[in-house]
Amino acid sequence: MTIKASHTVWAAVIALALAFVFVRSGFDFEYVIPKRLERLATMVIGGICVAWSAITFQSLTGNRILTPAIMGYEAVYLLFQTLLMLMLGTHSLMVLGEHGNAALSILLMLGYSWTLHRWLFRDDRDNVYFLLLVGLVLTMVITTFTQFVQLKMSPGEFSILMGYSQATFGNANATQLLYATLIVATICLVGLKSLPMLDVLLLGREQAISLGIDYRRCVQRQLFLIAALVAVSTSLLGPTAFMGIFVANTAYALAGTYRHRVTLPLGCAIAIALFILAQLLVEHLFNYTTTVGILVNLVCGAYFLSLMVRKRGAA
Amino acid sequence: MITVQDLHKTYGDRSVLSAVNLCFPSGQLTSLVGPNGAGKTTLLMMLARLLKPTRGDIRLDGSQVTRIPISEYAKQVATLRQTPEFNLRLTVEELVAFGRFPYSRGTLTRHDHRVIDDALSFLSLTTLRGAYLHELSGGQRQMAFLAMTIAQQTDYLLLDEPLNNLDIKHAVQIMQALRRLCDEHGRTVILVVHDINFAANYSDYIVAMKDGAVHCDGNVSDVITERRLSELYGLKFDIAHNERGYLCNYFKPSGNLE
Ligand SMILES: Nc1ncnc2c1ncn2[C@@H]1O[C@H](COP(=O)(O)OP(=O)(O)OP(=O)(O)O)[C@@H](O)[C@H]1O
Ligand SMILES: [Mg+2]
Repeated sequence: MTIKASHTVWAAVIALALAFVFVRSGFDFEYVIPKRLERLATMVIGGICVAWSAITFQSLTGNRILTPAIMGYEAVYLLFQTLLMLMLGTHSLMVLGEHGNAALSILLMLGYSWTLHRWLFRDDRDNVYFLLLVGLVLTMVITTFTQFVQLKMSPGEFSILMGYSQATFGNANATQLLYATLIVATICLVGLKSLPMLDVLLLGREQAISLGIDYRRCVQRQLFLIAALVAVSTSLLGPTAFMGIFVANTAYALAGTYRHRVTLPLGCAIAIALFILAQLLVEHLFNYTTTVGILVNLVCGAYFLSLMVRKRGAA
Repeated sequence: MITVQDLHKTYGDRSVLSAVNLCFPSGQLTSLVGPNGAGKTTLLMMLARLLKPTRGDIRLDGSQVTRIPISEYAKQVATLRQTPEFNLRLTVEELVAFGRFPYSRGTLTRHDHRVIDDALSFLSLTTLRGAYLHELSGGQRQMAFLAMTIAQQTDYLLLDEPLNNLDIKHAVQIMQALRRLCDEHGRTVILVVHDINFAANYSDYIVAMKDGAVHCDGNVSDVITERRLSELYGLKFDIAHNERGYLCNYFKPSGNLE
């Protein structure tokens, strides 16, 4: 069951990827296909980031209806974009250069998470609920402030800004993708070693400590990896908000096991497949009249509901 | 041997444990008894390093426990909490396999599998090994958690109310299993138990706690006396002692409780 499910999903990913690259491309290897490959790479990296960070975050918090968005990482990104727009106007892209915005966004999100974690874990606190509470409050404060600033903008600036608050795949360029790949690959390699530890964390704080896990250090380290993944994906394709919930829960349902060795790769595959599917639909069926973000939520929601109905009681 | 010196725990300015000095004998079964809120769990959780003492010293075989890395500690001390609960879809065998984590770090060897099998059969859980935890009764689940603790193969077992949810036969089974762990395997067992009759009949050593302090401690014959238990619980006890063991009768006090 497990093996079959993950094979099916990966086969779907490959089929979708091929369709995405070649359908109606006119086999134009000069322009169309390279551009599409860039978008494909964005989706692959983004999918890995979204699924990995969401599943890890849910295991840390012992809660299946959360994503790292609750910690305010994405809110910080949106505030930064808003302030940029306010101060530099529509010229902000030119002033910061091609990579300036992405690099600054990543640094800012990492700085925010580092400060937050440092503060949350000062002295002996290792209470995850406290962490969530602080994260949620900060998210609300930052979001409110962002909206306050947005009121001072012209409609033109505001509509550009709206583009930043939804997932899109067309913005990243090759250099950015290269750096993102390097960062994500490093994180995944580091993270792979701690997968059995994540399994144990599912038993809860006390049980994990009794089984010899240095809980505080482990949680801090995982939170840092999560923050880095979110920073990369947000700077590449924008906030994905609660998509991670669908991805993670679908992965759990299909995997039929709690083991991260299975659920994490499966989640990544599901996220990538979803992104490609949504992008295909946007490009070929809806002719850009809708956005990937909206479609992703629609597709996930429908599929997840059908899973729930079919497996009621079993999941 | 676990020794405790001048142990204190306060929450804010509320003291829940004060000036506890104890020495838990090795290879023996120690029961912690006392009324609700006496501080039994607090003491046990500090031994398990799940709770930091406000002041005082806990030593394992002479060395301060805070000096021992937590990953090493898990190979010497296993803990079963009062109400282990989670909403994970796990089979009994998968749960018990977690007990091997301190050694295997996630990759089970043949030896690990053998230990898991032994732990399951030690508690007669073999027929339930493939069952999902959330489909078990409360008592069966309690047994599964105990099996995980046993699979950890530690010299010390700390158990908080392991008889919770168990019918009388299973309770007897568990206490016999714990005795065997002490007598045949040389393990040291420290458990919190509310049923004073189980404590009286299966312990080597009893620590009676009240209001965050040790009320009295000693061998069974020292602690299980009508006077001591009356002081401890504020109930009148009739204690019968014959070759089959102790019987503490407190069920129908004459007159009203204060
Ligand atoms: N986190 C906490 N904050 C404040 N007080 C606490 C906390 N945890 C426990 N206490 C208090 O410490 C005292 C001892 O609690 P403890 O759980 O050790 O009792 P116990 O002897 O195990 O009781 P029971 O038999 O009901 O399990 C209680 O009065 C309880 O209210
Ligand atoms: Mg208790």
